[in-house]
Amino acid sequence: MAQEIIEVPLVGKVLKVNVNSGDKVTEGAEVCTIESMKMENSILTPVSGTVKEVRVSPGQVVKAGETIAIIEY
Amino acid sequence: MSEWHEYPGGVYKTKEDLYRELKEKREKIMQMGDPKVLEKRREAKQLNARERLEYLFDEGKYTEIGMHIKHRTVHFGMDKAWVPAEGVVTAFGKVNGRWVVSFSEDFSSMAGTFGEYHGKKETYAIQFAMEKGWPVIGINDSGGARLHEGMDTLEAYGWLFRMQDLASGVVPQIALLLGPCLGGQAYHPIMQDFLIQARNTGFMGIAGPAFVKTQIGEDISLEELSGWRAHAVKSGQTHVVAEDEKDAMDKAKELLSFFPSNNREKPPRLKTEDPPDRLIPEIDDIVPDEPFKPFDMKKVIKAIVDDGYFFETLGLFAKHLITGFARFNGRPVGIVANQPMEAAGMLDINASDKGARFIRFCDLFSIPLVTLVDCPGYIIGSQADWAGILRHGAKMLYAWTDATVPLISIIVRKSYAGAHYGMLDKSIGADFVFAWPTARVTIVGAETAASVIFAREIREAEKPEEMKRKRIREYSEIYENPYVGAERGYTDDVIMPHDTRKYINQALDLLENKFVTPGTCPWKVWRKYSNINL
Repeated sequence: MAQEIIEVPLVGKVLKVNVNSGDKVTEGAEVCTIESMKMENSILTPVSGTVKEVRVSPGQVVKAGETIAIIEY
Repeated sequence: MSEWHEYPGGVYKTKEDLYRELKEKREKIMQMGDPKVLEKRREAKQLNARERLEYLFDEGKYTEIGMHIKHRTVHFGMDKAWVPAEGVVTAFGKVNGRWVVSFSEDFSSMAGTFGEYHGKKETYAIQFAMEKGWPVIGINDSGGARLHEGMDTLEAYGWLFRMQDLASGVVPQIALLLGPCLGGQAYHPIMQDFLIQARNTGFMGIAGPAFVKTQIGEDISLEELSGWRAHAVKSGQTHVVAEDEKDAMDKAKELLSFFPSNNREKPPRLKTEDPPDRLIPEIDDIVPDEPFKPFDMKKVIKAIVDDGYFFETLGLFAKHLITGFARFNGRPVGIVANQPMEAAGMLDINASDKGARFIRFCDLFSIPLVTLVDCPGYIIGSQADWAGILRHGAKMLYAWTDATVPLISIIVRKSYAGAHYGMLDKSIGADFVFAWPTARVTIVGAETAASVIFAREIREAEKPEEMKRKRIREYSEIYENPYVGAERGYTDDVIMPHDTRKYINQALDLLENKFVTPGTCPWKVWRKYSNINL
């Protein structure tokens, strides 16, 4: 099982989280939204698989490079 | 079978013997190296060094030079080693009708290792190309440096790197990674203009897994350390990922079609059926009314270029800045655009590096540049500041200022602060700047500006929040639009989105003869080069 670590692209605040641990996701699905530099940024999963864990929650301030979620595929 | 005949001056052979010897030597070299390696590669559906050249060149025809070159080292068994063509085939031929020089490393010939003469062949190929004004396509597939030759190998690398630098900006150089390229074998492709890596068989790294394990104790597979993901996604060194070898060569040809053969020529202009003044009503609706909602800039790009055709480079790296080639009215053009859908479309360290090198490449080969701007600024915060966003961000400014090709900017939405220059504006050197009605060009966003200008007023107000909102609104109404710049002449015109293609093509027509003769730019006082932050 390979793992895809989805990281925060830019420092900001998590607006909403769309997935939970155990969810099945398809490539391109929106995992969460982060507000950065006054823009709503959709974070999409680059792979189809199962969400192993989610490490952020709405309202959390995150730094670039932090792990949002880990997808197993 | 050949006989020496003696005469007072020495010895000779008959022409029959000489001609037969040549035929035998050629055949032996053409059979290439270790048959087991060739068989293994064939079973893995990979092409060998010569088959690759047949695929690359038009009608499979090419002229090889240096076939008989031979190593001169005798140590460590080299005196008995058979290394046909010194592990690399150097050749020239036509690619889509234009002369191109190529060197194709042969993994079957002593694992394609880089020895003194292998290096000399590659160096000579690049020198030859530079002197003739022909592009270079290097096909890299090698087991690494030939350690048996010691200092000779070491020095040969230096000759190659030097020649690549001397040829850089004179002729386009494209490197294909169709096999392992580790250690010294990674230094020479990286110095070339574009890297195309084959997805499952191309590898590149400063050192391979074995070396890394013994020297620093890191345990990692070849695929993870040096594969396509390492370089197309993480390091930003592989510009294009190809599905396989043939795809890599096809992509190299496609890329080459945008470039002139050398820096004295203009890029080749193709015929297109796509009308230059085509209106594009479909992009009138693309920018959302709300400034905080993103949109896909690639849709804008595909709509305005000829035939919707866009060749993206470094598409998987720093995705918030889009770079690539397209054509406008048949003319090759480099496009640099923000992608609001990724990381707010801001400029950070990776985007600055990606953009600056792309701009400079286009400038080297007379390829006009068009920017599509929706950028909230350069990234801020301690993480970026301490990582050096200042010195990386400056690269974009140097790149634009040094450029003498036609420069056209389309301000789609935001163009704030430093990003205004980073994405090309009049002050930094644009020839034409056109803004859409949705453009918001200002030194900082209204929220920040109002909070600073009216700080005391807000603090001392009866209802601070209300005062703040009032002042933000005031600043936003006055400044966050395209007309302030248009009133000063910093923006040449405010245009409807559907007219964008028409305006770009008109601008390119007008700028057709901008500084055609190299070195005739009137405001450029002589100096070696600028001290661009690196």
